[in-house]
Amino acid sequence: MTAVARSWGRLTLAGKIVFTIVPLLLLLGLGLLVVVLIAGKPIVDFLAANMWLVRFVVAATVVLLMSVPSAFLIIYMEMKVIALMNLRIGPDRVGPFGSLLSVVHGLKVLMKEDFSPTGADRVVFTLAPVVVYMSAVMTLLVIPFAPTVFGADMNIGLLYLFGVGGLTVVGLLMAGWSSFNKYSLIGGLRSAAQVVSYEIPLTLSVVGLLLLAGTMSLNQITINQSGWFWNWYVFQQPLGALIFFIAATAEANRTPFDLTEADSEIVAGFATEYSGMRFGFFFFAEYVNVFVVSGLIVALFFGGWNAPFTWPAEWTPHLAIDLGSMGLGLLFAILLVPPIAILALSAPFYVGRSSLPWWQALIIGFILFNLIVGAAVVGWAFISWDWVAGLIWFLLKSYLFVFTFVWMRGTLPRVRIDQLMGFAWKWLLPASLLNLFVTAAALVVVRIIKPA
Amino acid sequence: MSRLPGLGIVKGMGLTLRRFFEPKATIRYPEVRVDVPPKFRGRLQLLYDEWGTLKCETCFQCAQACPIECIDMGGIDTKGRYHIHWGAPETYGERREESALRRSGRPVPDTAYAHFDPIHPEALEAILDRYDHDPKDMLAILEATQAEYGHLPVAALKLISQRTGAWYAMIYGTATYYRHLRFEPPADVATPLAAATATARAARETTFLAGLDASLAGSSGTTRAAPGAGPARA
Amino acid sequence: MTAAPPHGHAHQANPSDDPRVQLDEAAGVFEPVPPYPPRTERESEFYTLGDGEMFINMGPQHPSTHGVLRIVLKLDGEQVVDLDPVLGYLHRGVEKLCENADFHHTIAYLDPLEYISSLFCEWPGVLAFEKLLDVQVPRRAEYIRVLATELNRILSHSMFIGWMALDLGGLTPILYGLIERDEIAEMLASLTGQRLLYNYLRIGGVNGDLNHDFMSRLGDWMSRATTQIEANLGLLNENEIFVRRMRGLGTLDKETAFRMAVTGPNLRASGVPLDFRRAHPYSVFPELDFDIPTRDEGDCLARYLVRIDEIKQSLRIIDQCLHQMPDGPVMAKLPRLLRPRPGRAYAAVEGPRGQYAAYVISDGTDQPFRMRIHDPSFVHLQSVGVLMSGHLIADAMAVMASLDPIMGGVDK
Repeated sequence: MTAVARSWGRLTLAGKIVFTIVPLLLLLGLGLLVVVLIAGKPIVDFLAANMWLVRFVVAATVVLLMSVPSAFLIIYMEMKVIALMNLRIGPDRVGPFGSLLSVVHGLKVLMKEDFSPTGADRVVFTLAPVVVYMSAVMTLLVIPFAPTVFGADMNIGLLYLFGVGGLTVVGLLMAGWSSFNKYSLIGGLRSAAQVVSYEIPLTLSVVGLLLLAGTMSLNQITINQSGWFWNWYVFQQPLGALIFFIAATAEANRTPFDLTEADSEIVAGFATEYSGMRFGFFFFAEYVNVFVVSGLIVALFFGGWNAPFTWPAEWTPHLAIDLGSMGLGLLFAILLVPPIAILALSAPFYVGRSSLPWWQALIIGFILFNLIVGAAVVGWAFISWDWVAGLIWFLLKSYLFVFTFVWMRGTLPRVRIDQLMGFAWKWLLPASLLNLFVTAAALVVVRIIKPA
Repeated sequence: MSRLPGLGIVKGMGLTLRRFFEPKATIRYPEVRVDVPPKFRGRLQLLYDEWGTLKCETCFQCAQACPIECIDMGGIDTKGRYHIHWGAPETYGERREESALRRSGRPVPDTAYAHFDPIHPEALEAILDRYDHDPKDMLAILEATQAEYGHLPVAALKLISQRTGAWYAMIYGTATYYRHLRFEPPADVATPLAAATATARAARETTFLAGLDASLAGSSGTTRAAPGAGPARA
Repeated sequence: MTAAPPHGHAHQANPSDDPRVQLDEAAGVFEPVPPYPPRTERESEFYTLGDGEMFINMGPQHPSTHGVLRIVLKLDGEQVVDLDPVLGYLHRGVEKLCENADFHHTIAYLDPLEYISSLFCEWPGVLAFEKLLDVQVPRRAEYIRVLATELNRILSHSMFIGWMALDLGGLTPILYGLIERDEIAEMLASLTGQRLLYNYLRIGGVNGDLNHDFMSRLGDWMSRATTQIEANLGLLNENEIFVRRMRGLGTLDKETAFRMAVTGPNLRASGVPLDFRRAHPYSVFPELDFDIPTRDEGDCLARYLVRIDEIKQSLRIIDQCLHQMPDGPVMAKLPRLLRPRPGRAYAAVEGPRGQYAAYVISDGTDQPFRMRIHDPSFVHLQSVGVLMSGHLIADAMAVMASLDPIMGGVDK
């Protein structure tokens, strides 16, 4: 009890609010669910009639809830990958292989003092991280994670994404201006200049793709790329993909374009004066942005949730297990299979290594059994449900790109601000225009040769 | 650069990816501890000699040299002369001066050593020859010496230490352990050597002090402490 | 919220009460000004802001000022118009401390002047004392000194490469440099007994002969040093971003370099083959065969590349030392208490940053009467004004890193 009281006392105001509101909201949601289930017919009818409302609420909740764990995962990945590239071990104390360190960082950030400097514009100073985080999370809504798994299938999805993603710069500018610190100011202005410059090649590089796809809906673009991997747009738009990748790196403020928080020049840029959960918002937003950018690259150029190959339908095993027909056998299976399997799996370890105590062998067997069953369940779901397979492919590809971003951060030094701007205006912009013209010309030529 | 632009970046990325899989250089400290080299000087500790006795002579050179005055010491020195109660750093200078002088090889006004009686060493040499200069027979040597001189003069112990190679403190310890060995001549026993010793002692005092003054007159920069005014004497 | 104390409130409303802070009411900006009226014309000129200019205080707490250097930058946007380095945040009064310690103890004070190249800080002092005392150092001791100091030079340069990359935003080279440095530090620890502040050179020799531990570590490292260092450099040498940022930046021409008394690799990067190991030979350097790498460009990239070439030359010197090392004692016979005759002596050595020198006056007692230490970092810092002006903040940091100053040596 005292430990709980002590921890409570250490929380800042923001932390106390968060720790109060989150359980309350959870309780409220549960209560609502119960009410719907019990009193339900008219409510269910109403919701069924207005499916968009349910979809919106669920999507918003899911996106908000998953943004933080995915940020945790990417932060951990960044710490670990860069450490391994630096010939270090990196986080290895909290959780298995240190994987909970970023969670602990998140808790630490909640407990730190929420400090705002003398002379800062309090309101703007507080709002800035919210704007940044919000814009990062809102972009997640239109990204197609899997067939039927997306927040909204807008017909202007890409436009929405660029528009809302561009809001980040407003937040950064607010942070830089309101901090009452010249380092922050320089950081904020740098980010404004950088994002505004890179927005143009970023958008232009996709226009060629849009000509090919004929739609702005990310879902439709992904569907267009189904089939074997040579249907992906990266093979029709290699230059566009490269430009998009570079510009997206700059958009997400990642190395080598992380000038807004160049720690060796302008201490931490716009985040210099931030601490506590406000800094946490910036931090999470950055990594959510990384995920969004990776997902966008995958959705646009690398086939989204499509597998890189298709196999004939007759190769797919049909696992139509009718659980209801098994009767008493199911009960026996549920009761008997786990203990027997655990014993069977732990036996070789106990027999093979005489120094191993029986209980450790049992634990190993238990873990092995769970792994096997988990893999079996995931495999079954992968085969049976389209959306699970899509989600797995999408996340796999996305995290490959996240890894690439982290890898670049571990390798490259930072460019200078004038080189950054020169690169955008002198190289990327002409190159993206060239890409656009070549694509348009090719389309015209194809149409002349082979009229529809 | 006439080469393909971006090739260097790709090479660097290749290097980091290769390093990603290479063995790591981290030492997981609390579980794995690096062996410090045998000559490592980072740890402050007092050294012991092969008899398990502290080597520290309380010369205060370390305390004097320590730039941040983190070294201090207390206790008594090995000669039993100074009893130091965690002395103030300001007084180190005097003690250090004395210690440095003693180590420099010049004659030092050492009150503990200036007054021990000279002996005629021939008899002792004969005893040591008889025992083959073997420190294992220390008790027998000491008993024979006492039989010869009537007691154990400091000069004799010094000589035994020098000839046999046994450490002075060990001989001293042996001598103090046995009740029948004594350091002062008994009042009622007159040995043939006692009278000779007394005259030699008087002669030595005068010559030593004269030589001391002469040697100290040449050295400048240090003031000689008045005899008997040793610092921090308990 | 409870009522704030009236004086606190007043202070908050009017920060110009603090003499160090001037509030520009119109712009709402605090400006750093010296806590005294300007003493020189230069100072009054610097602390007057032109149109659209602003001050920014870089340091003493800043990630890339290599310690506690404070630079007041006058910026026009991101461009550095002018700058005023403010020193003294790490001043320990080493020279004065040396005058109150006897000659042996002085070495321990010289040691922590530069915590990356400690042996080079000891060496000029020891050399000057030896000149005062007319001590003949045994040849084996001289070879051991050269061996240990060249190792220390490689250590310093590999750290330089890492810092350079870190100041340009690269996270990885510093750790590769640290791994290199750690191996050499362990090696020197087994030779000298310490990892950082070696305190190894003695008046008349060195503290302890080569030992088995050291030799096995050294042989192990020498067998893979070249390939290892080459591999680490692959991250930077060919990297377009790095080369494009460094080339043509902070160009220091020959005349300016001479005028600014720049020495060491920074001078050799400007095309002057001045190396005190050759120009004023000391120790056994006349017997050793090595080149003096120079570059003509004088920019940051040249300063970086010269140091890399120096690492290779140092490896050559170490190899020769190991082959030519004679047998014999490592300490001259000296009394415990040194009292040189009254006189003065000067000695200089070529360190990883330039000329390390010491000037000693003795009045016949066992302590130096006056001790003056010349440190290259301090001298090189006077050229930052020339090199940084007109560049961007990011370039200012790169110039700073390429000069490789250590604040411990600057502030003494």
